[in-house]
Amino acid sequence: MKLVSRNSLRWLPAFVVPAVVVAAVIAVPLQAGATVDLPDKTPEQVLLLVNDSTVSAFSGTVEQSAELGLPSLDLSAGMSESMTGALPEGNDSVIPLGVTTALELLSGSHEFRVYVGGESQSRVQIKDRMAERDVVHNGGDIWLYDSNTNAATHLSLDLEATAQAKSAQLQSQLPTDLATPAQLAERFLGELDPSTTVSVGTDARVAGRSVYELVLTPKTTETLVASVSIAVDSETGLPLQVTVLAQGQSSPAFQVGFTAIDFAAPNADLFAFTPPATATVTEQAMPAPTEGATGDQPGDHSSAAGQVPVMTGTGWSTIVEVPAAAVPAELSANPLLDQLTTAVDGGRAVTTSLVTVFLSNDGRVFAGAVPLAALQAAAE
Amino acid sequence: MSSSEILPQTPERVLSARAGGWDLLGSEISVLFRRRRTWAMLIAVALIPILLAVAVRLSSSTLEPGEGPPFLDRVTQNGLFVGFTAMVVAIPLFLPLTIGVVAGDTIAGEAGLGTLRYLLVAPAGRVRLLLVKYAGAALFCLVATLTLTVSGAFIGAALFPVGPVTLLSGDTISVPESLLRSLLVAAYVTVSLLGLSMIGLFFSTLTDVPVGAMAATIVVSVIAQILDVIPQLDWLHPWLFSHYWLGFADLLRQPLDLGSFGQNAIVQFCYVAVFGALAYSRFVTRDILS
Repeated sequence: MKLVSRNSLRWLPAFVVPAVVVAAVIAVPLQAGATVDLPDKTPEQVLLLVNDSTVSAFSGTVEQSAELGLPSLDLSAGMSESMTGALPEGNDSVIPLGVTTALELLSGSHEFRVYVGGESQSRVQIKDRMAERDVVHNGGDIWLYDSNTNAATHLSLDLEATAQAKSAQLQSQLPTDLATPAQLAERFLGELDPSTTVSVGTDARVAGRSVYELVLTPKTTETLVASVSIAVDSETGLPLQVTVLAQGQSSPAFQVGFTAIDFAAPNADLFAFTPPATATVTEQAMPAPTEGATGDQPGDHSSAAGQVPVMTGTGWSTIVEVPAAAVPAELSANPLLDQLTTAVDGGRAVTTSLVTVFLSNDGRVFAGAVPLAALQAAAE
Repeated sequence: MSSSEILPQTPERVLSARAGGWDLLGSEISVLFRRRRTWAMLIAVALIPILLAVAVRLSSSTLEPGEGPPFLDRVTQNGLFVGFTAMVVAIPLFLPLTIGVVAGDTIAGEAGLGTLRYLLVAPAGRVRLLLVKYAGAALFCLVATLTLTVSGAFIGAALFPVGPVTLLSGDTISVPESLLRSLLVAAYVTVSLLGLSMIGLFFSTLTDVPVGAMAATIVVSVIAQILDVIPQLDWLHPWLFSHYWLGFADLLRQPLDLGSFGQNAIVQFCYVAVFGALAYSRFVTRDILS
């Protein structure tokens, strides 16, 4: 009898240790999300906090995930080839990086490391499996480096006043622009208008810091966006996380947020990029702003007459219509298009949980954060 | 085995039994590393980078960047990449295989040979025997990864030019710093294999047939890697012991990113704790008949 009880005592660790480990695995994330109680603020006060934010240097890890319901594509394989083939000479190294990266970031999840050392110094590292892509901006130089192909691209910017504007434009065209929650939050907050209800949600903890949650809810029901919440650091006013919820989907359709952040200025060496001796280096002049360095922004083609995109509707349910003449030829020629789109009444469409794109049979392209039916109605 | 003599249980004996733990460890390590099987496995591990380097050296075709296993296209420019490529190639199957053989053999091997009960007659005790066996398996993990790293560095330096190393971030570091990073990678991979070693030790306490425990350990490592690529199970992925195996890429970024090193260590610690407890309970309650 004694033997039995002694033996069962010896079996105790086999149950206790796994139980403790499982409990710890469950409890640690819960603790990180433990309730935070900050002094109450009105939405206006939180907006002011964001506006007055003076953070200019920080480094951190950003995690971004998208659940848009896009068909999964092997973008890394087929894309760059088909894109480079379709594009004019001389532009082929920047644009594939831009377009493929943008498309790639719309599916799955990604991790970046972000270093910002003031206005004109930044470095974004996209962490891939056994590889990395870097965008380094240091004053008048922008370096793009891809470890997979061991290729570096150098863009030099004129530091004169006119070129400053171009540099800002180029920066806004780089897909990594969306890498930091702060930049994305700026876009949403810049477009605040009466069509949006702004409220303060529950205080929470993001990247180990207590945050106010600013919730933007569209007043109209005609959009696919259910709400956008922005987590604002309670001390510095820096937006740390942006979450976009789609109608009828409980998990976030798009989320980008810091998982760790450090407000110390990063080491200046990080921004002084010298391409490795073995890399193929492409020197690239600043693309002229009218040519449109990206294929994914319809607005870039606005220069020529008769090609102006038309905006209909207001606020969240705005529909952008790109006339057939302004649609880049390489877009409709791209073999990926068939893979991405499905045939619908009157054309082809890409429907995601947040954005719908409708390519009508006559060549026009409609896009908006609205259901497909609204785009089809606009096409008629 | 020297420590398996039958000794009277006098107080002096008990005292020296504390030192006897170290004797047991010493004899375990010397037995492990005097085995031909261990040497054969270490030689096979050392051959991985050598085969890689020789194949690349003899081949006339140059690889496009990004073709083949990671870093393989860099090898011709810089021999120090041989070690990294070999590590990527060896991690999914070959290293777990050798760990499976060593860890699966720990207890079951002694039982199979009929030497287990002699080991336990000495005042060392079952817990101490388990600890010593685990320490031996963990040491093998370290020796195997170091063998790979060192043989990779030597063959790379012998066949290819050696120079400053380009990290994944595009920054370049000096040769001594890159050797330091190689050692960090070896440390990372050693830690990565600790969880699997404990799983092997646990299986080894279940049976008297060492081949069964070895096969079970290897199968578990393959299953974990299969589960790791099924997207529907992504909630489970961070808790698979194989999930961070290739995470040593983070040690090749600038600035050095130790985040995944820590995460990997936590996951491995969880596995060591759980399977250590299971192995303890099983082993101390087991009837030792052989």
